[in-house]
Amino acid sequence: MTKGIKKLARVVGGMKNLVFILLAVLWGLTLLLRLFEPLGYLYLALGIVFLIYVVWPLYNSRRLVGYYWQRVKRNRLAVLGLAFILFLILLAVFGPIFTPDPTAANFEQKNLPPVGFTTSESIYNPQTAQFNTRLVNGTREHPLGTDNKGRDLLAMIISGARVSLQVGLLATGIAVALGTLIGVVSAYLGGKMDNILMRLTDIVMTFPFFLLLVFIVFIFGPSLAFIVLIIGLTGWTGVARLIRSEALSLRTREFVLASKALGASDGRIILAHLVPNVISLIIVIATLSIPGVIMAEAALSFIGLGDPAVTSWGMVLRAGQQSLDTSWWVAVAPGAMLFFTVLAFNFVGDGLRDAFDPRSNI
Amino acid sequence: MKEAILKVRNLKTYFFTRRGIVKAVDGISFDLVKGECLCLVGESGCGKTVTALSILGLVDSPPGRVVGGEIFYDSMDLAHCPADQLRHIRGKEIAVVFQDAQSALNPVFTIGDQIVEQIRLHLELSHGEARGRAINLLKEVGIPSPEEAAGYYPHQLSGGMRQRAMIAMSLSCDPRLLIADEPTTAVDVTIKAQIIDVFLRLKKTRKMSLLFITHELGIVSEIGDRIVVMYAGRVVETAPAAELLDNPRHPYTSGLINCLPDIEQKRGRLESIPGNVPSLINPPGGCLFHPRCGRAMAICRKKQPPPVNVKDGHTVFCHLY
Repeated sequence: MTKGIKKLARVVGGMKNLVFILLAVLWGLTLLLRLFEPLGYLYLALGIVFLIYVVWPLYNSRRLVGYYWQRVKRNRLAVLGLAFILFLILLAVFGPIFTPDPTAANFEQKNLPPVGFTTSESIYNPQTAQFNTRLVNGTREHPLGTDNKGRDLLAMIISGARVSLQVGLLATGIAVALGTLIGVVSAYLGGKMDNILMRLTDIVMTFPFFLLLVFIVFIFGPSLAFIVLIIGLTGWTGVARLIRSEALSLRTREFVLASKALGASDGRIILAHLVPNVISLIIVIATLSIPGVIMAEAALSFIGLGDPAVTSWGMVLRAGQQSLDTSWWVAVAPGAMLFFTVLAFNFVGDGLRDAFDPRSNI
Repeated sequence: MKEAILKVRNLKTYFFTRRGIVKAVDGISFDLVKGECLCLVGESGCGKTVTALSILGLVDSPPGRVVGGEIFYDSMDLAHCPADQLRHIRGKEIAVVFQDAQSALNPVFTIGDQIVEQIRLHLELSHGEARGRAINLLKEVGIPSPEEAAGYYPHQLSGGMRQRAMIAMSLSCDPRLLIADEPTTAVDVTIKAQIIDVFLRLKKTRKMSLLFITHELGIVSEIGDRIVVMYAGRVVETAPAAELLDNPRHPYTSGLINCLPDIEQKRGRLESIPGNVPSLINPPGGCLFHPRCGRAMAICRKKQPPPVNVKDGHTVFCHLY
C-alpha cells in the first residue's frame, strides 16, 4: 500500500504534488456534484480555470506567495477582511447542510425574534373582539429568528451568502477575463484594432447598465444565470481600460521584442508574456469589483427582479423592509451581511494593491 | 570565396514620421560568409540596430518600413517573405541577443521556463527533454550550477549571468546565424571580456555565423572577421578586420580609430570627431560625412561617392580614392 503511494508520488514528482493532486481531484468531484445546480457548468469551467491559472502557479511559487503574504499581513484590515471572506465562503459551502430549507414557510413560528430577544405579539381574537398581547422569545431552533412567513432567517442568510458569492465571483470572473483580453489585445495590436476595441468599450460603457439589466430580466425572465451573464458581459469596460493602459507600457518593453525576435506568435506574446505581467493588476481589480457586482444583484433582488427561485440577501432585505415596524431583524441581518461583505472585499482589495505595489513600503 | 549565408543588397528602411521621412538605413549592402563574424560598426543612431531588425522583419510598422532592397538568407528573400514563414525562421534559424538582458527577459518567469518555452516553440520536445536541453545550454554559456540557475527569475541573476542566459536562450534551437545587438554595452568591463569569450567559443565550437553589432572597436578587433562601418544609414567602408584596423581609408573610419585611447600615449587630449551625426530627415547632399570631414573637397558636397575597391575585399565609399 505505502509502496504504491510512493511509486505514484514519484510519477507525479514528489509527495507534495500527490497530496495536491488528490485534493484537486476531491474538489473536482464536489464540483461535479454541483453540476445539477443552476450555473453548474459555469462553476466547473471557472473552477478548472482557477485550478490551472491560480492554484497551481501559486503552489509552484510558494516563496513569492509567502513574500506577498508578509506584506498583506501588515495591513490588519485586509487580514480581517480576508478572514471574513473565508468565513463567508465556508458558510456558503457548508452552511446549507446544517440549516433548514430557506424557502419552507411555517406560519406557526412566524416573526420569531433572534435568540436572546423578546418581542410582543398581538393577536386579534374574533371571539372577544380584543387584541391578546403576548411576549415571544427567540428560540434556539431559529438563532436569527424568522420572517413573517416563518422562514428561518439564518438559512436565508446562508443561502443569500451563497447567491452573493456565486454572482460576485462568476460575474467578476467573466468581466475580468473579457476585460483583460480586450485590454491586452487592444494595447498590443494598436492602430486600427485598438481604435475599434476602445470605441466598442466606449459604447458598452455608455449603456445604462442597470436599465439594461432590468430590461433583459423583464424580457427573458429572472434567472440567476442570466443576471450573472449580463453583469459579466457589461462590466468589463473599466477593466479593459485599466489593463490596456498597463499593457501599453509593457508592449514597448524589450522582452516583447525579444520574444518576437525569437519567433513567438502574437497570440503567444499576449497570453504568455503580457497577461502574466498584468496579473497583479487583474487580482486587485477583480477583488475591488466584486462588491459592486454583489450590490447590483442585491439591488435587483430588492426591487423584485431577482431570481425568485433562490433566496438572496436583496430579497430578504425587501421582505424585511415591508415588516420593518414589527420585525426589524429581518432587514437588519441581510443588510449587515451586505455591509460587511462589501467592506471586507474592499479592505482586501486595498491591502492587495498596497502589497503588489513595489513602491509602497508597508 | 566561401558561400555567404546572408546577403544584404541595397537595403532601405525608412521611418515615415510626422516631421518627414527618416532614412534610417539607406541602401546598404554586405555579405556575411558562413562561419564568420561580421561586425557592424558605427556611432549611435547610424542604423545598426535598424539593419538587424530589418533582417528579422521586426521594424515597427507604422512608422517604419523596409522600402527597398533584398535580404537573402540562403536563397530566401527575407524582405519579401510572408510573416508566417518569417516567424519560423526567427529564433530557429536566425536568433538575436539583445543589448539589455534585464529588459529583454520577461520578469515574471524563471530563466529555465523561458528557455524551455523558446525550445518548445520551435522543436517538438517534451517538457522534460526541453528542460534538459535548457540546462545544457546554460552550462555551455558558462553559468555555474545551471540546474539551480534555471529556477531563478531574471532579477535574481547578476548582469553578466542574465546576458549569458539571454545568449543561451538565443542558442536554444541551434540557429545558423546569430545576431548580437550590442550585447556588451550594458555590462561592465570584466563581464564584457567574459561575454566576448562566450561568443568566441560559440563561434569556434558551433561553427555559427555571427552578425555582431557594436560601437566598440576594441571588441571588433577581438571577434570580427570582417567589418562594415556604417555612417548615417550608409556603408562607408568594408574590409577584413585586421586590414581595416591597420589601414583605414575612409576619414570617418580613421577618425573612429583615433578616438580610441592609446595606452602608450601619456598626455594630451583624446581625439574626437567634430560635430554630430547629421539629421536623417534632412541629410546633407553628396557624401553624408562631408560636414565633419577634415579632408572634404568640393565634389563631396555634390556627389554621393561610389564604391572604390582599394584592395582585394577592401571597399571604401570616398572621393579621395
